[in-house]
Amino acid sequence: MRSLINGKIEPGRSVFFWFAFAAAAVVMAVLPFEIGRYTLLNFNSFLLMTFLAAGLSLLWGFGGVLSLGQSAFFGIGGYAYGIIVINLSSGGWSSLAGLIGGLLTATVVAAVLGWLVFYVRLRGVYVGIVTLVVTLVIETFLNQTAGPQWVVGSAHLGGNNGLGRFSGDIQQLSSLTIPWGAHDFTFMGSSKAFYYLLLGLMLVSYFCLRILVNSRFGIALTAIREDPDRAESIGYDVRLLQTVAFSIGALLAALSGILYVSWGNFITPSVFGVNANILPVIWVAVAGRKSIAASMVGAVVLQWGAQALAIQGQYALIIQGALLVLAVLLLPDGILSLGPGMSRLRLPSRRTTGSVALRR
Amino acid sequence: MLLSVSALSKHFGGVRAVDQVTWSIDVGETRCIIGPNGAGKSTFFQLLIGRLKADAGEIRLRDRVITSCHPFERARLGIAVKPQTLGVFAELSVEHNMILPLQRSVHGRELEAQLKTRLEALGLSAKRNFPARALSHGERQWLGLGMAMASSPSLLLLDEPTAGMSPAETEQTVSVIRQVASTGVSVIVVEHDMAFVRSLAVRTTVFHQGKVFADGSISEIERNDEVQRLYLGSHGAAKLRQ
Repeated sequence: MRSLINGKIEPGRSVFFWFAFAAAAVVMAVLPFEIGRYTLLNFNSFLLMTFLAAGLSLLWGFGGVLSLGQSAFFGIGGYAYGIIVINLSSGGWSSLAGLIGGLLTATVVAAVLGWLVFYVRLRGVYVGIVTLVVTLVIETFLNQTAGPQWVVGSAHLGGNNGLGRFSGDIQQLSSLTIPWGAHDFTFMGSSKAFYYLLLGLMLVSYFCLRILVNSRFGIALTAIREDPDRAESIGYDVRLLQTVAFSIGALLAALSGILYVSWGNFITPSVFGVNANILPVIWVAVAGRKSIAASMVGAVVLQWGAQALAIQGQYALIIQGALLVLAVLLLPDGILSLGPGMSRLRLPSRRTTGSVALRR
Repeated sequence: MLLSVSALSKHFGGVRAVDQVTWSIDVGETRCIIGPNGAGKSTFFQLLIGRLKADAGEIRLRDRVITSCHPFERARLGIAVKPQTLGVFAELSVEHNMILPLQRSVHGRELEAQLKTRLEALGLSAKRNFPARALSHGERQWLGLGMAMASSPSLLLLDEPTAGMSPAETEQTVSVIRQVASTGVSVIVVEHDMAFVRSLAVRTTVFHQGKVFADGSISEIERNDEVQRLYLGSHGAAKLRQ
């Protein structure tokens, strides 16, 4: 188990890394007591996106598959959660059913889409195009569901207004609630409880993904990223492994979507839009797609930065776009590649292997 | 009989790259396939490993028809490949390159033990944490070959295994292939380098226009007037006699 947690595929194995990790964990643990309720509400909205970013890192950074439609699964998870919660009325069990239903729906859709995409051997930019088209088709479809005929059980899809409080109906979209003794416990979007729920889920997701990428599956996935044909010729079913990675990425995106609905008690078709799909790509690319930790940190820091910029003017998107261009041009592996001791592989010294070794 | 093909064909538009080829290799046998560019030997190689799908004909591994099997299924049935390109994952460590074929059959301590033994045999123990791109050309060739052998195959396919190697490394490759063959593994070598083919001194198949043009020991091939006149031409004949 130790070799899986601290294996050689996910960067960040040094004492320095774990010290920084522990320090960050302590700061995060006490943070809600140091910031106001409004700031906490904002911060929660940043944290809930880390799962989407981590999934994209697995898929793109480790599997070499750039999906431009991860928000499709974010939205599918969120909508499925909302539809189930509205239909089962409020309460802890309906919320749990919504959570499981949302995760399952997105994962199954991803498995089917992945099967279609990878089993016809689509690669590279074509996977990005197909995933983007799928999410835009869903957005277009949902935008025209304002009419009264567009209902799923008692949930009205609501067109542009989406599900929840802006739909004009009396339907209520409650926050994530768990059965707790005689009463239910609700994780309100601006609460410390929601913050600690997010923090706990982040830790669990991070360590699960760390173990996954350092496992046999992760090593095979990185080989597929490097050379899918060679990986296949040594016995790996590339299509299956890519579909599995795609489905795990979708599961994590759906978790973000569900937590987003739980945070804001609404969801609209805009979550399937171009902006919603490209921003996670920017977070992950700028921070370092080949590290789960960097991708999660990047999601929080860049969202925070974008919001700070948005308060000053309308330049947030332009600056984020410029960051992506700079990252691609100057740091193809993201800011992570500048970090001390973060290199995944020990490069040979000149003394041991001569001049050949360090040439790229 | 380990592997046999019958009436195997592959066309690209009007070009018959492999045309009605019937051919076989025995258990433990080593065979060379030679021929200039366009003779069809590379297409034949791609058909054997499953990278290309045959238009007609059949490939059998022992009693099993594998014509429509994917490359990963053929690998799992015991066909290992060392491609013409180096066959290593440049950005992965030497260790992970070797783990990739090994972890399909062994785990835990057994995997670690085999990894250690195999890296030592390849002379790469000290470089196990280096990215494969940091190795010399020859070392990467050895690693690629080591990876192919790590899956304990019954058939090893080598596409120009000595490309870019020094004469000393080429000579070493000959002895490695003989060593592999002595363990009962069948080996198919597609090669341009006649000096290497001569050193290997095994039964050799000559491809021409997608067909098997001649087959026999390398000395028979070199003495074959038809091969020299029709296939190699005067320039090729001179080269063949070098």
